Amino acid sequence: MKITLPALGLAGLLVLAGCGGNLGSDGDSGSTAAYPERAVTLLIGQDAGGSTDLIGRALADPASKDLGKPITVQNRPGANGAVAAKELAAAKPDGYTIMVFVGSLAYITPLAVPADQAVDVNNYEVVTGISQDDFVLVANPRTGFKTVQGIVAAKRPITFATTGVGTGSQLTQTLLFAQAGVQATAVPFNGGAPALTAVLGGQVDVAAVQLGEAKEQIEAGKAVPLVTFATQRPSYMPDIPTATEAGFNVPVQQSRAVVAPKGTPKEVVDRLRTAFQKGFADQAYKDFNAKRLLTANEVDGAALLQQWNGSLQTYRGLVAQHKIDLSAK
Amino acid sequence: MTTEPADDRPPAAGPSANLIAAGVVIALGAVAVTGAAGLGSGPGTWPMVIGVALVILGLILAVQSRRAEPPERFTRSSLLVVAAVASMIAYVAVIATIGFEIPTLLLAFVWLRFLGRESWRTSIAVSAGIVVVFYALFVGALDVTIPHLF
Amino acid sequence: MSSVIDGFAVVLEPTNLLYCLVGVVIGMLIGVLPGLGPAATIAILLPVTFGLEPVTAVIMLAGIFYGAQYGGTITSVLLRLPGEASSVVTVFDGHALARQGRAGAALGIAAIGSFVGGTLSIIALTLVAPVVAGFALDFGPPEYTVLALLGIMLVSTISSGGRIRALTAAAIGLLLATVGRDDFTSAERFTFGNLSLADGIDFVPIAMGLFGLGEILYNLEERHRAVQAPTKVTNVWPSRADLRQSSGAIGRGSVIGFVLGILPGGGAVLSSLAAYALEKRRSKHPERFGQGAIEGVAAPETANNAAATSSFIPLLSLGIPANATMAVIFGALLIQGVTPGPQLVTEHPELFWGVVNSMYLGNVLLLIMSIPLLGVFVRILRVRAAVLAPITVLITLVGAYTVNNSVFDIGLVIGFGVLGYLMKKAGFDPGPMVLAFVLGSLLETSLRRSLLLFDGDLTGFLSRPISGVLAAAFLAVILLPLARTLLRRRHPDPAGSAVTEPGDPAVTAVASRPSASAEIVGSGAAADPFGPASPEAGDTGAAVAPGPSAATSGERQGPGTASAESPGTASAESSGEAAGEHAVRDKTATTSTEAAGRPHDEPGQSGAPVTQPVHRDRHTEEPE
Repeated sequence: MKITLPALGLAGLLVLAGCGGNLGSDGDSGSTAAYPERAVTLLIGQDAGGSTDLIGRALADPASKDLGKPITVQNRPGANGAVAAKELAAAKPDGYTIMVFVGSLAYITPLAVPADQAVDVNNYEVVTGISQDDFVLVANPRTGFKTVQGIVAAKRPITFATTGVGTGSQLTQTLLFAQAGVQATAVPFNGGAPALTAVLGGQVDVAAVQLGEAKEQIEAGKAVPLVTFATQRPSYMPDIPTATEAGFNVPVQQSRAVVAPKGTPKEVVDRLRTAFQKGFADQAYKDFNAKRLLTANEVDGAALLQQWNGSLQTYRGLVAQHKIDLSAK
Repeated sequence: MTTEPADDRPPAAGPSANLIAAGVVIALGAVAVTGAAGLGSGPGTWPMVIGVALVILGLILAVQSRRAEPPERFTRSSLLVVAAVASMIAYVAVIATIGFEIPTLLLAFVWLRFLGRESWRTSIAVSAGIVVVFYALFVGALDVTIPHLF
Repeated sequence: MSSVIDGFAVVLEPTNLLYCLVGVVIGMLIGVLPGLGPAATIAILLPVTFGLEPVTAVIMLAGIFYGAQYGGTITSVLLRLPGEASSVVTVFDGHALARQGRAGAALGIAAIGSFVGGTLSIIALTLVAPVVAGFALDFGPPEYTVLALLGIMLVSTISSGGRIRALTAAAIGLLLATVGRDDFTSAERFTFGNLSLADGIDFVPIAMGLFGLGEILYNLEERHRAVQAPTKVTNVWPSRADLRQSSGAIGRGSVIGFVLGILPGGGAVLSSLAAYALEKRRSKHPERFGQGAIEGVAAPETANNAAATSSFIPLLSLGIPANATMAVIFGALLIQGVTPGPQLVTEHPELFWGVVNSMYLGNVLLLIMSIPLLGVFVRILRVRAAVLAPITVLITLVGAYTVNNSVFDIGLVIGFGVLGYLMKKAGFDPGPMVLAFVLGSLLETSLRRSLLLFDGDLTGFLSRPISGVLAAAFLAVILLPLARTLLRRRHPDPAGSAVTEPGDPAVTAVASRPSASAEIVGSGAAADPFGPASPEAGDTGAAVAPGPSAATSGERQGPGTASAESPGTASAESSGEAAGEHAVRDKTATTSTEAAGRPHDEPGQSGAPVTQPVHRDRHTEEPE
């Protein structure tokens, strides 16, 4: 009877054969000429529904058309993407597992967590940069704040919401208030929506959130923009100065890139890059970028590493200069 | 809540078993307190509060251990639970490397035939059926990314 | 108003009708499968929506969301596997009813309650959405703190198994919630260097492990002692008496669900918990809760559906996603070129009203689908336990994987399954642990945020109107039972010592029955309105359930201690005006379990607590 058991199982499985497994063992890594011969997994280190997730999904769709094989998005949320990054590092460098890597993990989180928990983007092959998000500082209308100078002039301690520890939202505001000499207490929230809610409800005075997240509330007059941390004034609020124009040195952006495990063959990386470039050119993707107020940053791997390593250096310097400790409460 | 017949109940352990349960709670509280102390104030404050609460609750449980209903004794049939847990641990250990189909088949079969004392025929049919249905549902319909062979 | 009517025209377009149906069917399916939640499903389906009109896309996605709320009940009731935090509370009475062969009644009431709750919530949404949207904003960290505290206090009153044990379980749940990287300092807490724990433990492995797997392991141990007969399914439909009994719970559940559902984060969980606690508190026989009270299913299921509907309010009128699913729907709208925000109603009225009005239709579709499915699902209980167990185990294991696509989570389920088993052996109810876990991080983060906002000053809680009122309510929950206890101590109830006696014959009767039918008998008795009571402690069976050992441990439990107190209260509160109601309930219960030979006409039952052959709920005596 024992013989029938595996036989039956095998028979059952044979019926289903042809569906293709996902164990990775059947992709023979020797021949890259045929890449891709099966679906590519795109890891996303954030929850479904977040900005990174949406960007990844918006991009995966058009890029897979060029690749000729599906790009399957998988969320592996945890520790701002460190969980996914660790999994990617352990994956076979064959181009069938890639990931959307967020810049903050590479250049802000290391400032907030112990060195052994930080992730170094230089240990990955960067396929392409994707886009950048800019932050805007918004205030509840009831505070009466219209500018950063207004906060300084109010001469009172303020509270500000951040989207979490080790995020661009925290770094921008901490740097800004340190430079402006405002006594400010950071109140960390879990993401952009709760932080914005806290401003709308008057729980905190101000918050820095991504441009796209606050657009509707700003246009409806429920939140007052004070300053943006973009390099140029965003088109939908031409009257709001950038931090540089307001006299502050806060060059912080969120940036995203597609990365593959270290050691992925160059041909495969190039093939992926071509596919994503086709994706960037897709009209629906372009519309998505415009709607979400994302600035394209579709640079190649070398340029991206230069940007991100430069950012890490800059932030390290600024944080040291202003004696900021991002991990302290 | 539960409705097993009276005579079906495993025998009660002595009141000392309650002391052991209380001891586990106190130990857990102690671990929390130690861990919280290592974290310092800020991240450690809240776990410290909970840890202290656990120690206090554990002490109350210890004081009451004599009067409280004793836990159930572990009997020979508890070995079934050990076997069941072992089968699940084996399942987790191999699923990532060989996919979920074969482990699922084997786990279902072991549970049906050896833990559940079902007939060979039922055991084989049901376990094969489970694999097919799971495959169709999770891989076919829902496109879940569980490791799979086929 | 005309835009509201135009909205109906949008819904009635054939494409929209079709996608509404597709959405609710998918939602119901994934609701039944523990693990894969609506947020993940909607994310997976996102590319499908690219080709649809925005309103069609959201109609479908919304259908998945509230459809999942219907489906989630089914596994909670049948297999004790709550797929979502908001259906944890349903497990207590839902599963108890299923074991009594009344799964059909539980599921039927849940479907009706969900329909009523959902529909009332849509009507409320239509009428007052813009007005109440601000309510969500008035809830800041201090309000959430007090709300979460209140929730945790309610948790410990819900459990069976003794108050100290419930509090211990709750404390462990709170401790589990601290695992992971601290939100405030990013310090790693109790992760033991494991990156998979860095974001904390997910709800699904905890709930499915402690409830579902723990139960299976526990039952496994007993299988060889007595062959478990499959539970007899006596009636598939909720009886008229069930409906009558639940109508109040459904009404109140709708209101609670609508109001709390508006709150971003935790609204649905809190609403189901609050609705359940309210019914238990209002009930003249709170002891039935946890033993298969139909209101215990009606209230939370109504509330969580009402909450699911009202959680659209912050999204559609403020542009703020209230939970993960809303965040994905938000994203879907963005990809469609519509940004939800305060101007959505004026800029895209056809979308706003189309989506809102599609929910009426969706709820009707779900109700229609639920009814024939009841019979199908209930049949699951006719499957032998030996066959059902491996199926449940595998659904649990694979389901846990699908939450984060992580094998580590399967390991967690097994770990919590073992813990759940050991807790049951030791007489601890896992319920408070799971619920405290769910509320734990809300409590801690809100508390710490509040302290940051108040600059460390605890009196700040009282200075804000909403949190002040809530804090007062919180104190009332703690102080009232305490005061009652003290009063009772001063005037000991003479009935207390007497009532245990009449129950004894029942015990003997039950004990002498063959074990197969005794199981049914036991469950029938468990649902008995005359069961022992301890209204505020809620350690229903636990307080007296002399159960199998009644005869032997009778003197140990003695009338002087806990049993004196609890049944004393019961008889005091259940006498007089409640008598008529007794008759009704009695009849209901009898019809449903008559076939099983339940000794319902025992003379000893009128007015006296029937000692139950309940076996896992222990007798614990605790100082007040």
